[in-house]
Parts: sequence; C-alpha cells; structure tokens
Amino acid sequence: MNTPASLRYTREHGWARIEEDKVYIGITDYAQHMLGEIIFVELPLPGDEFAAGEAYGTIESVKAVCDLYCPLSGTVVAENENLLCFPELINEDPYQNWLVVLKMSNPEEIDDLLEASAYEAVCLEEEQAYEE
Amino acid sequence: MKNDLIIIGSGPGGYTAAIHAAHQGANVTIIEADRVGGVCLNQGCVPTKVLYQNARVFNTVKAAGNFGVTTTGVSMDFARMQQRKQKIITSLTGGIERLLKAKGIKLLLGRAALADKETVRVVDDNGGVRELKGGHILLATGSHPAMPSIAGIDLPGVCDSEELLAVEELPKSMVVVGGGVIGIELAGIFNTLGCKVRVLETMPTVLPGFDREISQRLTIYLKRKGIQIYTGVSVEEIEQCDDGLLVKAAGGKKELALKADKVLISTGRIPNTSGLNLEKAGVEFGPQGIKVDEWYATSVPGIYAIGDVIGGKMLAHVAAQEGIAAVENMMGRRRRVAYETVPECVFSFPEIAAVGLNEEEATIRGINYITGRCAFAANAQAQAMGKREGVVKVIAHKDTKELLGVHILGPHASDMIHEASLGLVQKVTLDAVGWMVHAHPTLSEAFIEAVRDSEGKAIHQMKGL
Repeated sequence: MNTPASLRYTREHGWARIEEDKVYIGITDYAQHMLGEIIFVELPLPGDEFAAGEAYGTIESVKAVCDLYCPLSGTVVAENENLLCFPELINEDPYQNWLVVLKMSNPEEIDDLLEASAYEAVCLEEEQAYEE
Repeated sequence: MKNDLIIIGSGPGGYTAAIHAAHQGANVTIIEADRVGGVCLNQGCVPTKVLYQNARVFNTVKAAGNFGVTTTGVSMDFARMQQRKQKIITSLTGGIERLLKAKGIKLLLGRAALADKETVRVVDDNGGVRELKGGHILLATGSHPAMPSIAGIDLPGVCDSEELLAVEELPKSMVVVGGGVIGIELAGIFNTLGCKVRVLETMPTVLPGFDREISQRLTIYLKRKGIQIYTGVSVEEIEQCDDGLLVKAAGGKKELALKADKVLISTGRIPNTSGLNLEKAGVEFGPQGIKVDEWYATSVPGIYAIGDVIGGKMLAHVAAQEGIAAVENMMGRRRRVAYETVPECVFSFPEIAAVGLNEEEATIRGINYITGRCAFAANAQAQAMGKREGVVKVIAHKDTKELLGVHILGPHASDMIHEASLGLVQKVTLDAVGWMVHAHPTLSEAFIEAVRDSEGKAIHQMKGL
C-alpha cells in the first residue's frame, strides 16, 4: 500500500495535500486498487462550494460507482480537466492526479484528517473485516 | 377519378399517410415538389446514417489491432462513400415510388398550393397547371434548415446540413454552429473521417433537451475523440480569411476566433409554410408552423397537417405516425400520437437513445423519483465488442416504481431503446422489468442492471469502496 506521509487522509479513502489556503484532493492508492480500472469521473465546476464530508463528484470503475467525499470545506478553484478525458491516469498515479483544488473555508478541519499511519490502520481494519 | 385525399409532400409523413389511406380504400394523390421521400430520405436521416456507418466501419478497421486483426495502410475514399450514399438513396426513393404505385396512389411532381379551401393547384416543372379537388387535403411539406442572421452567413463555405452532406471533398476543418442533434451527428461523422471539428453551442450543454447527465457524459467522450466543444458561446460573425473562414464567437468571458474550411450551421429547422397560399385559404399558421388541433385538423375543415410543418419534435418517425393518425381522424376515428413515449436517437459516437422523462423534467414536475445506472464497461457483450463507453440510466417513480424514463448512451442505443419504449407505453414497473429474463451475453443486460441499480440491487455492481 502506497500512503505518502506528506499527505492527510479520510476514512472514505480520500487524500488532501495542503498548500497555504488551498488543498489538492484525490483518491488513495488503496481506493484505486479496490475500484479497479477507472473509466469515468464526474467533477464539480470552479465556484461550487462543499462542506467537509459532502459528496462533490462520482468516480466509476468497471466494478463500482462511488461518490467522492470532500475532506475539507471549501470552494472549488480548479478541476483536473485532463481526468475527464483520461480517467485511467488515476490508476497509474493516484497521488499525482488530483481531482480538484479547493480554497479552504475552515482550515481548522485539517486537524480532523488522518495521518498516513492512521489511514493505513483504517485500510487494514477494512481488509480484516472482509476476511472475517 | 375523384380524389378522397390529396397529400402535399411525400416525406415519411406524407407517404405513410398515403399508404395508410390507400389501405382503407381511399383514392389518394400525393404531390412532391422535389424528390420522393422528402428530406428524410434525400438530405437528412438516411444520408447521415449511411455516412455514419462509413465512419463506424473506419473506426472498426482502425481499432482492428486491439482485436488481434492486423491491418496495414488503412485509408478512406470519401468519393466512394458519397457514391454509396447516393446509391442507397436512389434505391430507397425508387422503392417508395414503386410502393406508391403498387398501392394505387397517384404521384404528381410539381409545386402545390391551396387555390381555395378545397382545391389544390399544382404547377409542374414545365409550367403546366392542374387543379385537383379532394375530400380531404393533408399538408405534409416538412421543414428546411434555419439560417440565423449572422454577418457572413452567405459566404461560400458556410453551409447547412443538406449542403454539407453533398460535399464532394472532405473538408480539413469545420466549425459546427449549433450542438443539437444534427450538429452533433455531423460533428462525429466528419471528425471520424479525419476532419478537425469544433462545435459551438449557445446553451450550457450540447444536446439541449436531453438528460443533462447523458449530454455531459457524451461531451467528454467527444472530447476524447478530439472534437472541441465550446458551450455558452454565440457566433457573432463569420469572415473570409486567407485560408478559409474565420468564425468569431463570444460568451461569458470567452472570446473565440476559429479558422475552418467549412462552417456548418445547424441551429434548428423551420416549417415549410411559404408558397402554400395558406393565408388565402384561411389556414392559420405562425413561425412555429401550421396550427392544428389535437386531431391534426387545421383551422379549415377538411384540411389537415402533420410532420415538421406543424412544428414540435420534427422527427421522421413522429411525422409518419401523425400521418396515420390524421388519416384515421379524417375517417371519424379519434387517434393521436403518444408523444410522451416517442424515442429520440442521436447517432453520435457512441449513440444516444432516450424515451420518457429525463431527470430535469422529473424534477420540474415535482415527481419523487429514483435513478439507476449501469455502465457498459461492466457489460460482458460491450467488453467483447470493445465498446465500453456509455451508460444506461433509468428513472422511475419512487413510490409506485413505475418506469418513467430511460436514457441510453452507448453501443446500439438506438436498437436497445424500444424495449424501454414498450415498457413506458405499457406503464410497467421496475419489478416487471426485473422479472423479464434478459439473454446473456447481450447489451440489453445493461438495462435490467440499471433497473436493479435504481433500487440498489444491481448484481454486478459494488456500491462504494
């Protein structure tokens, strides 16, 4: 499992990279692995506002359609348009291929996000639950 | 011989009505000013579908390597494609002419107009004039492409869909003004054949009127194939420049100047009401076409109108059904077309077919609805065909579980939609579809899976991670 220590994570398998008042968000390596081949993403447009935990888009693979959940509250300032045409890039490198950039409206929420080690524990728990 | 019915226009509406009336024992005369079969056969549905198939074959051959079939030196011969198209048109129109003859319907070539409330005057190419009287008159004169008043609209190289379909050489680049059904179909065909295509649409999405999720998804697929799409922009003027035409457009903060060899204007169609002498005969009409009541009767007793000339959806299959309904109504029966369950198809890559309500309409009507989806990527047959793009989306009433709308984007969507149409006509529930066994492996399994998904019970889909 590839879980860069420099990022923060959510239980819904999202990652966040904070750069000043902006945050790049995407889905984790574990998530792309579980989804399998990603064939479609639907992203919000710049200007759309989301609260932490709210669904901001959908991602579709040959196996599943999932909502994407916002790790932090904010306003979309950019969508990764390239992914609309080439969604398989998320499989290739889920951390390089961010989905949207938000301007954070409540930076205090960062404290609620998981560190890499805590997120890995969440993934392990899920796998164990599956095996049981 | 006394005419029971005189029909002006031999497109799909007119000739279908003629044959239906002949089947009831009527003496029918049908008058055509141009070519038998109307726009549909000569400059519309049929020629686009022939070229669409050419483009499809080209796509298939280019992708042959993915199937382990080795090809070398694949190229296309546009002139031969156009010859093939003409051959099919000639064969089909000839077929209609023979059909009319076999049914005892008299075909007259010439321009027809109403001389009075019960007389049709026909002027043939040689200036010969004939007057016909009939029990009933049916106006089925169709429509023509709208040409908006944009500066430069008359420049050479600016064309409508009918002119574009007749070009002898494939243009290297084309700007399509208007991202409706006609614009999107021709954009896809010409792009596949190797023309660089850009589409301009004034609305926020292409294919206005279709389910927004479906049109947004198509937009992505079109972009993947190299078609550039600009929405929310209006064309301001077209100029001649050194090497072609320059289309200037603007909208919001966007300002565009796009160069192209050809500019296709596909901004809608206008009912053919002029030259019919409608005012003098007292037939009411407006910019939207001839006014008819729900039984296709015009304001003049005995005169009926159907098809594009009465406005509305302007689809060949609607015109044909209206033709049958109008004939029934002339005979004192009461029939009208079930407009709520008319399928609409777009021959894009991939195809779209839709019937019933879309999500926006369901919302506007305040319906408490549920939706379900199945991506073709999850369908075995689609995988085998190498056609994984697309989705089937169903909309149903949340409480009654009645099927309300089906929207298919994907391979053979136009063939698949009729199962859904029958379901809507019969007002079936999700459960009824779910218990109808669908053969495996078929594309139609995506429909039953979408139906199951609307209740969170899709067999081949995980929910969430």
